This record gives sequence, C-alpha cells and structure tokens, in this order.
Amino acid sequence: MTAPLGDSDNRPETGSAVESRTQRRGQRKGGRLLVGLTALLSLSACASWRNPPPKDPEALADYKEANDPYEPVNRKMYNVQMWAYHHALRPVGKAWAWAIPKPIRNSIDNLNQTWYMPTVFFSDVGAGKPRRAGDDFMRYIINMTLGAAGFIDVATSLGYPHHDSDPGLTLATWGVPSGPYMFLPGLGPNTLRDAGGYAIAQGLSPINYVPRGYGLLTFNWAYNIAGVLGGFSSHIDEIDQVEQDSLDPYAFIRSAWQQNRQSQVDAIRNDHRATVPDWYN
Amino acid sequence: MLKTCLSFSRRTALGLMTTALVSVAALSTAAHAEDAQGFVTAFGGKLVGIINSDKSLSEKRQEVLPLLQDNVDIATIGKFCLGRYWRSATPEQQAEYLKLFHQVLVNAVTDKIGDYKGVSFRVTGATNTPNGELVSAQIMRPGQPTADMGLLIAKDGGMKIVDMIGEGTSLRLTQRQDYSSYLARNGGNVATLISALERQLSHRH
Repeated sequence: MTAPLGDSDNRPETGSAVESRTQRRGQRKGGRLLVGLTALLSLSACASWRNPPPKDPEALADYKEANDPYEPVNRKMYNVQMWAYHHALRPVGKAWAWAIPKPIRNSIDNLNQTWYMPTVFFSDVGAGKPRRAGDDFMRYIINMTLGAAGFIDVATSLGYPHHDSDPGLTLATWGVPSGPYMFLPGLGPNTLRDAGGYAIAQGLSPINYVPRGYGLLTFNWAYNIAGVLGGFSSHIDEIDQVEQDSLDPYAFIRSAWQQNRQSQVDAIRNDHRATVPDWYN
Repeated sequence: MLKTCLSFSRRTALGLMTTALVSVAALSTAAHAEDAQGFVTAFGGKLVGIINSDKSLSEKRQEVLPLLQDNVDIATIGKFCLGRYWRSATPEQQAEYLKLFHQVLVNAVTDKIGDYKGVSFRVTGATNTPNGELVSAQIMRPGQPTADMGLLIAKDGGMKIVDMIGEGTSLRLTQRQDYSSYLARNGGNVATLISALERQLSHRH
C-alpha cells in the first residue's frame, strides 16, 4: 500500500505537448520533481502552510510522531493526487488490467524490476551490503540473458530473490536524517531525504543514458507507460480499501508509509549475511 | 588451605547455582517462546482451516467470528487506537466506541476471507519485545509472492493477539494515527469519531 502512490508517478501525461513527449524519462521526472519541490518550498514559505508545534505535551508527541510540519500543504498535494487518481489513473489502470492478460502484465513487471536493478545494485553497494549487491548483480545478469532482456524472472528460481532498495534507503543507513514528511503529487509519500534519493535513482538508471533515436524513444515511452500502468493497476484495490476503511486516509497512508520505510531501513541495517552466496542450497 | 577449600566450594556452589538459574531461565523462556508460537500455530491453523473449507462465504464468516473473539484482544487494541483521546472520553463513549471498533475490526478480517482461498502459513520464529512476544510467520498464497507478517502476543491473563504487523507496518499504530488525526482535525471530541464509525459501518451494509 505504500508503492501504489509512488508507482503512479510516471503516468502518461495525455495533455502534454509533443515536444515534452520527446524528452527523456529522467528529464521528465526530474522536471516534475523540480516543479513539485519548487511549489512545495514556495508554499511552505508562508507561515500558514506550516502547523506550529502544539503546546499540549501529548499532542506534541503525536505531532512529532507524524513528522509532518507542512501538513496543510501536503494535504493539498494529496488532494490533487487523489483527484487525478479518481478521474484518470484509476479508470485507466482498471482498463489496463482488464485488457492485458495477466502473464503479459507479469512480464512487464519483471522487465521494470530487472531494469531498475542497477539502481538497487548501486544503492546496496553504497549501503555497504556486498551480499545484497551480489544478489542484485546476479539477478541483473541472469534476467537480462536467460530472462530474455528482463521479461522473465529466472533469477528468483535460481536462488536470487528480489529485494527492494533505493538511494533514499542508502542515505538512511548512512544516518542522513529523513527531514519532514512530504506528499508530492506524482511521487506520493516522501521525505526530503527520499526525494533526494529519487533524484539520484534517476541518475543511476541506465535507460536514461540510452542515446536518442525514434525507435528507442518509442520503446522508452512504451516501457515507461506500460511499467507504470502495470505497477499501478495491481494496487488499485489496496488504495480503494484504504479510502473506504480509514477515517483519514491521508494520515493512514502517512503512518503506514513511514513505518514501512523504517522497516526497509532496518532490514538493510540488520542484513549481516556473508558475502559468498549459498551456491549449494 | 581450609580457606581456599571453602572459597573454592563456595565459588563452585555459586557457579552451580548461577548455571542452574540461567538454565532454568533459558528453559522457561524457551517454553514461553514455544507457547506463543504454539498459540499462533493453533490459531492460524484453525483460521486457515475455515478459509480453505468448501463452505459458503457467509458460513465461513460465522465461524471466524468466535475464533477472533477468543484469540484477539479487541478491547485492548481499540483502547490503543484511541490513544490520548481514550481518557477524555466518557465511560459511555468508551463503551460505545469499543462496540463499534469491535465491529470494524471483525469486518476488516472477514472482508478478506474470500481473497485468501488456498492460503497456508508457517511460523518462523519469535522475539521478545517490551509489548509482548512478536511471533513471525510467512503467508503463502497460490500465485502470490510469500508475505512476511508478525503477530504480537500479550500474555497477561492468557495469550491474546494485540497487534498485527504486515510489510513492517503495525496495524494498531497506523489505525491510531488515522483516528487521532481525524479527531485532531474535528475538535478532539470522541463523539465525532463515534458517529464517523457508525457512518462507516452503515455504508457497508
């Protein structure tokens, strides 16, 4: 339930100009991130966009636990995102899941996961976890070859299961403080640190260094759009459930995302496995 | 000589006693850990048995209800979820809230029964935490990746489940954030929360 909002970011912009379509993925995402950040920073400059810490000690404890001083801005951003969700993302995602058979959707998920592997690899190297990085490396090599350029996940059955990692988590293991919680339209739940990590992740994605050319651009677009729809459409039910079951979905998502993120950081920190993989298991 | 002998024997006795104490402690923790794990294994086994049976969905829901009531400390979870607002609520409000919360929690579980056909699970271990014993388990579903989860077991007056952790997210902590944020934005009156829960429940049926 944390991924869906994050996944929904690279959705196709149906209304954008032709020129912007020809931009590379990194620029597109970087640009959107920049717009989001600029908007957030300029808005948060006004005092009214910031919740002052409450006086009551118990309320203060809640305030600190939420780590969300810019809540008024974040809620506005959340509303923007959910508006887009109900009016565009959800119907399109539903149609995608209806039209595309499950095995094809799975292959597209595999492709996206495999092509993100270099980012995961460098993140694990950065976090100083050689065993995890080794698994990433093997996953990438195996799935890019035996797995038909990433469409089939062969590596899991060969003993290299997938795990998540990203530069934001690496920064966390270095002890970089998270900074305040932020909800960025397009990117979903974030913190200052994780948004920075996201920018680094874009730099680590090989597909952003592919030379321009009509065929490649078409592929790049197809890859992005299909990947996003795939990742997103599988989470629609979860988002709907949160909206139905919680009284304050914004706070529910904030808490669940923060806890999940912390557990990922802990998982990396506590991974003390030996470097040599279990070849014989 | 006598002194050395004495001190030796005293040291030996002390050593023996310590060893005995330590092993008794180790034994009892082991027994404890097994207990909590055994509790989760038994509870999970019954739950999975109901979910995978060939009965109708409404029959399954009927059967799950007493299982939840016996093994989950719904009142404690409810109290936790209300956080600092529990004390500001009147006794009537507390009772009313707990009644509604009970229904909300039971619904949350029974709503999912249909999605879990063919499920199996495996208890993988247990760790002691200040809030009770955290038993970890893996959930296997056909066509789905294995999911890790944890059940927090409190032991005061019989074992009961007091929290569930999935994907590193504690259910009761998330729920408390949800409720307390709702209350903070609606004047902090528990009556508002109660009517919101009533609305939520009435929308379902």
